[in-house]
Amino acid sequence: MLKLFKLLGNKRLFVILIALVMFIALMGFTLGPRANLSWPEKFLRDTVGFVQNIFYKPAGYVAGLFKDIGNMRDIYKENEQLKIALAQYTREKANYNFMEEQNKDLQEALHFTEAQKEKYNYSYHIAQVISVNSDPVNRSLVIDLGARDGVKVGQSVISVKGMVGVVSHVSNFTSTVKLITSMDAKDPNSNGIAVTAMNNHQTFGIVESYDEATQMLIMTQIKQGDPIKKGDTIVSLGDTDKYPRGLIIGTVESVQESQFGKTWTAMIKPAAEFQDWKQLFVVFTPEEQK
Amino acid sequence: MMMRKQVLLLLLFLLFILEGTIVPWLLPGSWQNILTPNLVFIVLLFVSIYHNRHTALVLGIIFGMLHDVVFYGDMIGVYSLVMGFTTYIMGFIFRIPRAPMPLMMTVVILGSLLFDSMLYAIYRVFSLTQVSYDWNLLHHILPDLVVHFVFGLIIYVPLRKQLEKIARRGKKEKAA
Repeated sequence: MLKLFKLLGNKRLFVILIALVMFIALMGFTLGPRANLSWPEKFLRDTVGFVQNIFYKPAGYVAGLFKDIGNMRDIYKENEQLKIALAQYTREKANYNFMEEQNKDLQEALHFTEAQKEKYNYSYHIAQVISVNSDPVNRSLVIDLGARDGVKVGQSVISVKGMVGVVSHVSNFTSTVKLITSMDAKDPNSNGIAVTAMNNHQTFGIVESYDEATQMLIMTQIKQGDPIKKGDTIVSLGDTDKYPRGLIIGTVESVQESQFGKTWTAMIKPAAEFQDWKQLFVVFTPEEQK
Repeated sequence: MMMRKQVLLLLLFLLFILEGTIVPWLLPGSWQNILTPNLVFIVLLFVSIYHNRHTALVLGIIFGMLHDVVFYGDMIGVYSLVMGFTTYIMGFIFRIPRAPMPLMMTVVILGSLLFDSMLYAIYRVFSLTQVSYDWNLLHHILPDLVVHFVFGLIIYVPLRKQLEKIARRGKKEKAA
């Protein structure tokens, strides 16, 4: 050991060791949940965010233009499908209105409090992606809504197709979204999502990790005999305050017995496409609006 | 003299911005989840070899920190540590004035491997990733390596010229 010290020069090794210890301390300190960012961090994020904003949008438009030309053929087919879907929605809308009316009357009759009535009245704020970090472990996006717009840590972020991630850090004008593809049961910062099937609410499970190799979310703790089957659309249950109700997570790809028996584990193909980011929606729950 | 250094800083900042905004659009959709090119890092490797490894160390720490803070997901300091350390070590091992092109490309390859492996190691230590190293090597590190190599080839001629000019002027000033 002494020889090693002499070899490198005492001073240099000492500095390197201290720097290493400090870096590890910094990582450990910032690893856990932090309520607020310090002002230098906020300043840096907002300044860089402003510059990124200038670059990202035009690039998206140009790339989108080329893609649109490529997709010209598919659009006709897609239009056909959308027309059919729209007709179905209009038919169901009438039914939905009746049910909502009835639901309201029943709530009135049962003397629901104002908070209970408003519980599922979410609002969706549109946000523009301004940059992407493609690090496989720490996949995150920066969006252009921040504390000024009322965004808070822990709010869910969705795309048109399905759930994308959770707001992990907020500065004044921008915030970072941690994607659900970086969810991990062992990670202290990520919470599992309680989920159910869209058409059958008897299904229950928890989505708490993502398998990188197969690019699927893993839904665990499904009871044996659960009616879950391949092709089911999985949505968030929203019993806890962490995640709102009814966010689309994905579709079931396969169901098998879990590692320890007793329960089942399902592989879920995420509904959102984790590429070509443009607009996203931040879900505001009514409690947070006050 | 001072002008060139400021231009270098601006160029690095611009590259950092491009990395997060334009580069994802240039890649085809299915590649966006595989490739994680770190262009700033490659430029810093050049700085480390052709200019001064201490400058590269400081720049690595600064730009790594910038990356950490802007894309703050799990923790701060990973990129800062890895970028600073790798550029310094590469400059320390290959202390050859006027390194020829094949050597520089070797540095890019080794640096890229070391960079991604260290990132993986740190994430693994903090148990933020569960995938095996082999899988990571095949699906992230090697594809990255190819992109880094191509980027290194593209910037080799112009960047080396400018960096050597900076270094030469620095020496002249010291002599005077």
